[in-house]
Amino acid sequence: MRTDDPANYNLKVRLFAILRDVVGEGEITIAVPSGVTVSYLETEILKKYPQLKSFSNKFVTSVNCKVTSGDTIITSRDEIALLPPVSGG
Amino acid sequence: MIPLLLPGMKLLFCPQSAVVECLIRITNDKLSLQEIMSELEDNSAGAVTIFMGNVRNHGKHGNVLEIYYEAYREMAEEKMREIENEAQTKWNIKKLVTIHRIGSLKVGETSIIIGVSSEHRNEAFEACKYIINNVKTRVPIWKKEISVESQKWSDGILLG
Repeated sequence: MRTDDPANYNLKVRLFAILRDVVGEGEITIAVPSGVTVSYLETEILKKYPQLKSFSNKFVTSVNCKVTSGDTIITSRDEIALLPPVSGG
Repeated sequence: MIPLLLPGMKLLFCPQSAVVECLIRITNDKLSLQEIMSELEDNSAGAVTIFMGNVRNHGKHGNVLEIYYEAYREMAEEKMREIENEAQTKWNIKKLVTIHRIGSLKVGETSIIIGVSSEHRNEAFEACKYIINNVKTRVPIWKKEISVESQKWSDGILLG
């Protein structure tokens, strides 16, 4: 997919609930190449924050408020969030 | 009747029908049942159902002092709106209200109120049940149980 993104850029990722507690921040920044997929981003996040590895099958990634598959391509304008299992109500 | 738009309140009209009024809100403020009842008033509605979710004094990890609720607000509001839209296409509904409180809530305080007004009772019951069941499984809100001994995020359902 063609985007206007630079070859490499910093992507902000929001964290919630237990993921935020484990990392200690509500938002992290990951350096990624243009045209990156959700799967690639998740791998990079786990490399930078190994404390999240035990949660790797306990969160999903949302892009612009929609849960997406691993092959979804991300742009620098997208809002990304990692979401642990929900428990509202 | 168009409800009064207060700070922190999102007023949304479900697109499928100009008649149905849908109110969705995520708030740090205490929930007011009286205010919600007034939002549901409709002279053509013969039934009003209300569901209130309260903080219990016990949970999976023992006695609970309070629960801390956190939301991904933008997405949560979008999903709540989606659920209300679904409900009003399934049943003949006059008005819908879904309000979720976030922040720290003590035992006995109300975390969520769902209200439905409709012509007849069955659709009000069914829609109310549908909305709470879907809010619990599809809306990005999390709770942490706080007791004297520990603070633990509740097990939940992975969004799909």
